[in-house]
Order: sequence, then C-alpha cells, then structure tokens
Amino acid sequence: MTTTTLPQPGAPAEHEEHPKHNLTGFIIFLCSESVIFLAFFSGYALLKTSALNWLPEGVEGLEWQTPLVNTIVLVSSSGTIALAEYFKNREKMLLFRGFWLMSMAMGAYFLYGQAVEWSGLRFGFTSGTFGGTFYLLTGFHGLHVATGILLMGLMLIKSFIPGNYQGGEQGVQATSLFWHFVDVIWIILFLLIYVWQ
Amino acid sequence: MTSSSTRSINTTAIAGLSVWVGLIVLVSYWMGQQAHRWLPVQASTAAPLVDDLFSFETAIGTFVFLGVVSVMAWVMLFNRAEKYDDTDAVPIEGNTLLEVIWTAIPFVLVMGIAFWTIRASDQLGTLGPMEHIHPRNPVEDAGGYPGDRLPAEQVEVIARQWSWEFRYPGSNVSSTELHLAVDQPVTFRLVSEDVLHGFYIPAFRVKQDVIPGRAIDFNVTPTREGVYRLRDSQFSGTWFAANQSDVVVESAQDHEAWLEQAARLPLQPGLSLAVSEYATRQSRSNPGWATVPPAPPPQVNVPGSSAQPHQA
Amino acid sequence: MTIATFPPEPKPDQGRSRYFGFCTDAKVIGIQYIVTAFFFFLIGGLLAMVIRGELITPQSDLVDRAVYNGIYTMHGTIMLFLFIFPVLNGLNNLLIPTMIGAPDMAFPRLNAVAFWLVPIFGFLLMASFFVPGGPAYSGWWSYPPVSIQNPLGHLINGQGMWITAVALSGVSSIMGAINFVTTILRMRAPGMTLFRMPVFCWTALAAQSLQLIGLPALTGGAIMLLMDLTFGTSFYRPEGGGDPVLYQHFFWFYSHPAVYVIILPVFGVFSELFPVYSRKPLFGYLYVALASFIIVGLGLIVWVHHMFPSGVAQWMRNLFMVTTMLIAVPTGVKVFAWLGTLWGGKLRLTTPMLFCLGGLFNFVFAGITGIMLATVPVDIHVSNTYFVVGHFHYVIYGAAVMGIFAAIYHWFPKFIGRMPYEGLGKLHFLLTFIGANLNFLPMHPLGLMGMPRRVSSYDPEFTFWNVVASLGAFLLGVSIIPFLLNMLSAWIRGPKATHNPWNAIGLEWLLPSPPPEDNFGEDVPTVISRPYGYGSGQPLVEHQDEIERRLELMEASA
Repeated sequence: MTTTTLPQPGAPAEHEEHPKHNLTGFIIFLCSESVIFLAFFSGYALLKTSALNWLPEGVEGLEWQTPLVNTIVLVSSSGTIALAEYFKNREKMLLFRGFWLMSMAMGAYFLYGQAVEWSGLRFGFTSGTFGGTFYLLTGFHGLHVATGILLMGLMLIKSFIPGNYQGGEQGVQATSLFWHFVDVIWIILFLLIYVWQ
Repeated sequence: MTSSSTRSINTTAIAGLSVWVGLIVLVSYWMGQQAHRWLPVQASTAAPLVDDLFSFETAIGTFVFLGVVSVMAWVMLFNRAEKYDDTDAVPIEGNTLLEVIWTAIPFVLVMGIAFWTIRASDQLGTLGPMEHIHPRNPVEDAGGYPGDRLPAEQVEVIARQWSWEFRYPGSNVSSTELHLAVDQPVTFRLVSEDVLHGFYIPAFRVKQDVIPGRAIDFNVTPTREGVYRLRDSQFSGTWFAANQSDVVVESAQDHEAWLEQAARLPLQPGLSLAVSEYATRQSRSNPGWATVPPAPPPQVNVPGSSAQPHQA
Repeated sequence: MTIATFPPEPKPDQGRSRYFGFCTDAKVIGIQYIVTAFFFFLIGGLLAMVIRGELITPQSDLVDRAVYNGIYTMHGTIMLFLFIFPVLNGLNNLLIPTMIGAPDMAFPRLNAVAFWLVPIFGFLLMASFFVPGGPAYSGWWSYPPVSIQNPLGHLINGQGMWITAVALSGVSSIMGAINFVTTILRMRAPGMTLFRMPVFCWTALAAQSLQLIGLPALTGGAIMLLMDLTFGTSFYRPEGGGDPVLYQHFFWFYSHPAVYVIILPVFGVFSELFPVYSRKPLFGYLYVALASFIIVGLGLIVWVHHMFPSGVAQWMRNLFMVTTMLIAVPTGVKVFAWLGTLWGGKLRLTTPMLFCLGGLFNFVFAGITGIMLATVPVDIHVSNTYFVVGHFHYVIYGAAVMGIFAAIYHWFPKFIGRMPYEGLGKLHFLLTFIGANLNFLPMHPLGLMGMPRRVSSYDPEFTFWNVVASLGAFLLGVSIIPFLLNMLSAWIRGPKATHNPWNAIGLEWLLPSPPPEDNFGEDVPTVISRPYGYGSGQPLVEHQDEIERRLELMEASA
C-alpha cells in the first residue's frame, strides 16, 4: 500500500477502507466534538454570571453528595477500561472482557444514578436558563455515556469472533479514547454545575 | 549592453515609477476628500470623527487598491507570452527581504489605523452602561409611564414590532417622533419589548442594537437643526423596513416650546405603518405567509407625521 | 473514454449511472457535489432576481413583505450551505486525492454519506417553502428572538426545518472535514512532505481545520435555538432570563471563520493557477502556505466584529478590531506573493486566468472595505447596512465564486476529459465581471447613506443606486447562461483533452484525463521536488519523462 509517506510496495491497494486511518479520523472527530461541549460550558458560564435570578423559585440549589458518588464511579471506570486495554494488548482476553464489562457496568450505574437524580428534581427544563442548561448539559453528556456503553458492547461482541482482536484493535482503542473523553467532560461538568453554586 | 545605458534605463524606470506613485498619491488624496460627499449630512458630534476616519481609510485604501491594480495592469499589458512561446519565464522563487517588507508595511499601516480608531472611539464615548433588567409588566405600559425613572435630560426609547416610542419623563411627554434640542447632550435609555431592534440615525452616525431584557444607555449630542430619519437597523420581522421614525433637531427654545405644547395634548395612537398594512393584509382572502401581528400603536401625545421631508 | 490502458487494467466504463447513485469514488462524488451545488445555485440565483426585482422600486410592491423576508433568508442560506460549501467540497474531492497521489479519500463511504446528506437537507430546505406559514424568514443569521417567535405555533414550521437543515449541513461538513484532514495528513505520495504539498492542499487543510473547530459551536447554538423554538426552553428568551446576544456569539464564532473556509481554498486556486498561466514558480511558497494557518489562528478570534453595535463593551470592541485588522497582514502577504508571481512572467490570458485576475481585483477591493468595517466607529455607522452586503458579495461572488469558476475551467479537462470552449468562457467572464461590479459596487454608497440591509422598502433617495444594482444583478443572472452552455456542450462533444493541456506541473497532470478510478493505483510516483518548478527544468517526480512518454503514447494510440 503506497498511501503513506513511506513507500511500502507489495500490499494490494485497498479501495474501500483504510483501517490504519480510522484512529486518526476518530481523534480528529473527538477534538471537534469537544468544541460543542466547550460551547455549552461557555454558554452556561455566561448565562449564570449575567443572570438576575439564577435559581428558579423554590429551588435552593443542587444536592451534590449523590452526584459525587456517581462521579467517582464514572471516573474510576476510566481506570478499569485502561486495564482492559492493557490486558487485551497482552492477549489475555478473559481479563480484557472482565474489565471491559466492569467499565460498562460502571457507566450503566452512572446513567442509573443520573436518572434517579433527574426524577427527584423539582424543576424542569423550562424553568428558566438554570433548568435549561442543567438538563442540556447533563442530558447531552448522558447521551455520550449511553453511546459509549453501546460502543463497548459492540466491541465486546466483536471480541468473540475468533482471531478478530487484531482487526478490532482500533475499535477498542477508539472506544477507550471516547470513554476517557466522556469522563474528562464529566469532571468539568461536575465542577461547573455542582461545585460552582 | 553598456553600464551607462543600464543606468539610464534604471533612472528612467525610477523616474517613471515615482511619477506614477505620485499620481496615485494625488488620486488617493482626492478620493479621501470625495469620501465626505458619499455620507449624509453631519448632524452630531460623532459625525465628524467617523467621517474623518472614513476619509482617511478611503485615501489609504485607494492607494493600496490602485497600487495593486497598477501591477496587474502592467503585467497584463507588458508581460504577455508571445503567441507561440511555450517556454517558461525566469524562475524566481521568492525574495526574503521583499517578503519581510510587505509583511511589515501592512502591519504598521493597520496598527496605525487601529490606534487612530481607538482614540476616535474614546472621544465618541457613545456607549453608557448596559444593565440587565426584568422585562417590564405590559400593564404598566398600557397607561402612562413611570415619570420618576429617568432624570429630565434623558429620553426613553421603546422599540416594538413595529413602532418607536419616545418618552420624555421630565416633561410628561410621549411621542412617535423624536425631538431633540441642538447642541445639548442627550442620553437615550434603549429598551425593547419584544425582539432585537437597531437604533440607527445615519445623520448622527450612531447605531446601537436594542436588546430585550436589557436597558442600554446611549449618549449623543446633535449639532445641526433639521429633520432626519431614524431607522431600525437590526432585522425585527415582517415590517422591519417600515419601522422608521423622524428625528427633529430644533433650537433649545423651540424644543422647550414643543415639550410644553405636547404635554397639553391628549394621548392618541402614534404612528405605526405596520398596523395599517397588517389590517389590509388580513382583509385579503389569502393573507399569505404567517406573520407576527404588530403591537398596537403606542398611546402618545404627539404622533408626528409620516409625510414631512427629511434631510438624511 | 480515452484512458483505458494506462497502468491499471482497463475497467469497464460503468457509464453515467454512477453519478446518480451511492458511489464511493472521490472523483464521482466531487462531480456529484459540483453539479448538485450548481442546481441550488440556480435556485438561489432566481431568488436573488426576485430580491433585486423588489428593490428596483422604493415601495414594497413586487412581493408581500413576509414573502420578501422568506426569500432573502433562503437566498443566503441556499447560496452558503447548498452552493458554496458543496461546490468547494466537490473541488476538494477532485483535487486533494489526485494532487497528493492518493487512490481515494481516507474514508470513501463516509465521503459518500457526507455528499448524500446535501440533497437530503436541500430537499428539507426546499420543502419549507410549502409548509403552512412559509419558510424561515429571520435571515441566514436567525437571530433570536425573531427566529423563535413562530407566528403560527405549529410544531413543524419553516424555522424549525431551517435549523434542522443547517444542523445536517454541519454534520455533512464535519464528516467531510474529518475525511479531508485525514487524507491530507496520512495519504500523501512518497516523497511528498508537507512542504512539497501544493498550496491548494495547504489551504484545504487550513479551511477544514476551521470547520472542525468552528462548526460544533454553531451546532451547539443551533441545538439551543431549536429547543427554544420547539420545547419552550429559554436560553435566548429574555422573558425566561435568557440572553439573545449569547446566540450571536455562537453563530459568529463559526460564521466568521466560515468566510475563511470559503475564501482559503480560493486562495489555493489562485496560488495554483497564477504560476501555470504566468510560467513562473509561486513567489514565496513557504510563506504563502504558512499564511493560511496564521489566517486560521486569527480567524478564530475576530468574531465579535460582527457584533460591534450589539451591546458589547468598548474594550472588547477595541480588542476584536485589532485582531481583525491583523488578518490583513497574512492576507496581504498572499496578495503580494501573487503579484510577485505575475511580475515578469509570460502571461496567457485564458479563461481560468481571467477569472483569477478578476477575482483578485475584486478581492483586493473587498479587503479594503473589510478594513473599514473592522474600525469600530465606521463599522457602527455602516454595520447592518448595504455597505456590508456589498462587502461580502465582493468577497463571496467577486472573489470566491470567480475563483471557483477559474478552478472549474482549469480542471474541467482533467476530470471530464474534454476541453471547455474559450470563446464562451471569455464571454462568461466578461458578463460576470461587469455584472458583479455593477451589482455590488452601488451597494457601498447606499450603505454609507444609511440604507439598512434586509429591507423590503426604502426611502426614495436610495432609488438611483438600487436601480443600478438591480440592472447589474440581472446581467449577472444572464452571465450564467454561457457558463451552462459551455459546460453542457463541452461535456457532451468538446474536443478530447490531453493529460496536460495547460502544460502545468502537478501530480494530477501526470494522470490521464480523466484519471482512472484509483488514480495512480499502486504506481504512485515518488515526489522529488517542490511544486511549481516552472522554468527550473527540475522534474517533480522520479521517472517523470517515462510517465509522460507513456501518457503521450496512450493518447496517440487512442
């Protein structure tokens, strides 16, 4: 394949897919995706600092202890997914699947926690800019968590195809990158929404 | 070729170039002077500052434009390939000194313009504080106006879809025609009841968006008597184009007299072209694409007239 | 087709049907993009004719005011999202792989999906003309609160469809951008280092990076706008504590860089074509290439200059004025480099060259009015007036569209395999150049006199220049006829093109015209020198003589 800067004759030219570039493309996508969160964060900060009445009537503020537990679970799942990747590189597939599944479970627990929190709140997304931005930020992030879990599920299924872990390597790498990305976004989000009150 | 003939060619070239550059400088200066004629009459203290800056930029811009176009014209006239000449020209790949020069000159030029501009804007000082306010209660607006809100020399400007209302709280007067005393500083308090509007008086060279949910203080000093136009400059919906009003600048005595006379007039519907056009539109069997209905015309002492001639 | 025998085995001609389906070949996608774009260009142009027809008289008499507002909104939206961006993506698809010697884009299927989103959101936008209440009417900016007023109150309304279409356009552009950037970074021919890349690829890389950084901000803003419109949130709704100015930040954070996304590839076209038609290397290649990225960096921190009268503090006005004016420096570097390229050259005034020269002329004019618009006091007077309309039409039509026409005439023989006609091309140029200047120059005095943009009626003192502008617009409308005639007749029965009819230097000119599906296939030549080696006698790639001899033999035998 003669598409990179190094001449590598011999390999047949592949017209349909160039798997080597998938990771490059995915990283570019993540960089771009981070700007949309950046836009929401700056919008949140701007609306909050310029608001006359930030909190809707009857709302005292957000409870932060339970979300903190959620945060710890989600952030530690970044560690478990890294461990999973580590074992995959050593071709210990059982351990890979174990830690991978654990990360998925932790993500699911986070989503469950989020759903519980939402159902207990006394304001909706039409309750001024506070309600709007709160649901927008947490909802948009939650959507990413759900996507991450789906992607992980897909990778898990792919790992059972014999001999596929070599081909699926980039998928695993990309999913794990995406998961770290989702975690970092949550940390900023947690600081913005729960800590800065 | 002897060295003396090379020198004479160089001298001719330099002389020719100097004459040409001199010519461009002259034309640029002339264009700078012309620039004043493209603008409306100057009717505020801001106008000369804006116009001088614009004239200066026109002169500089003309010089740059004619310089570039001269080079383009020269190469199109004298650097054409012969009809059957397929060969390449002399390969010059670049010249670091030249590149540094033509980076530095524009840099200095734009920084110079920026410096001039910052000084001019400081002198203008049109923009006062911009406070966030609560949207006001519509009931409060239906009747009168809160006279205690503003000191006397201020005018409250209320923009709506699609009419302008001007309130003189010190004199208990409201109008759909803006009256100002010449040479007296005035502070507008700009508020909007629905969407974004633009407070734009071309003869004053000032413009400020009116933002719902905020009150914006805005300072102007008119300097010339006459009738001018106030135009909505920020798209505000169907009758945006018709959302205009007259600005009458009059002497201090005339202004006092107008205020006194106006205060005695009863409240009546102000000017709103949108309201009458909307009525005609809705009477048709198929009114066409949807529109936001216009706000009812404001109740004012002086509706003004839509037919008087204006100067800019 | 003529090419069938060069390196790869002849592929059976799959015929024109490939152009109507889901095809992953970048060259087919490129042509699909360009043809689709010109279809919408005609619709947008017709709307422009209605606008200028309305404005030929001071009264609002040709169409209803609500209809006028819908038409000017759709004119802007169609021209930007359905013409300019797709046509540039078409050029990217044709030129990037062939210029860097790649067989295709990095993600061919993603590429095809990105293209097919264009007709989909185009259809959505067109359909909004027929929903109750009519299409979006709040301008291509869609500033709230006007854009969230929704007079009929229907869940499906023109504005909502508009936002959805723009968001889809964003998705398509992001897909395209990821593809172009990856292709340029990872798939260059052996020996083609970044600093041996043609300037078009540099500008495409710069422009697509801007898309990647800017577009998500617009998408974020648009999501919030759609929620305000449809679900009753109040991000921008002052009654609920929202801030309408926040939207303007989101919008311009993308939409100012969007202008660079448009103009940078056109700078690339100028940088490609001036050397070819003046037989000289590009003056200061390195500097021109790097200037694109300086423009990217600065372009991201100037957006507030669109909001000088929107109620931003004075220090912000001054800061953004300075950054805006700094952009003149790298832009000036490019303009002077082109003049340096032309200077002492052997110019051939072919149709593409004329379009480049005309485009440069208009661009310099637009640059100067741009500096005027950057200075705060002047901007405050002319912002939201016809001065701005004139300025950006000089940029978009005067410079960008003319550059695009230049590119089409220049690379038409390469990708279609036939020569366009010079006579019709020059007529097209003449009508375009005169029409554009006649149309857009009068807008400047109108703006200076204080005529706001987006008006459906105006005071009688503005009549004269409006009549001139309208006549210019109708001439511009006529100018498209020779272009269409030229393209159609050349495509059907134009003279066969050789592999390098302009005697140009570049990898794409070492391919047969039109190139085979996978371009160089496995025999990608090794690049050994910088582009634009005119007059130096240096070959661009190893074994260049042999490659060219084979191409000539093949052409002779055909």
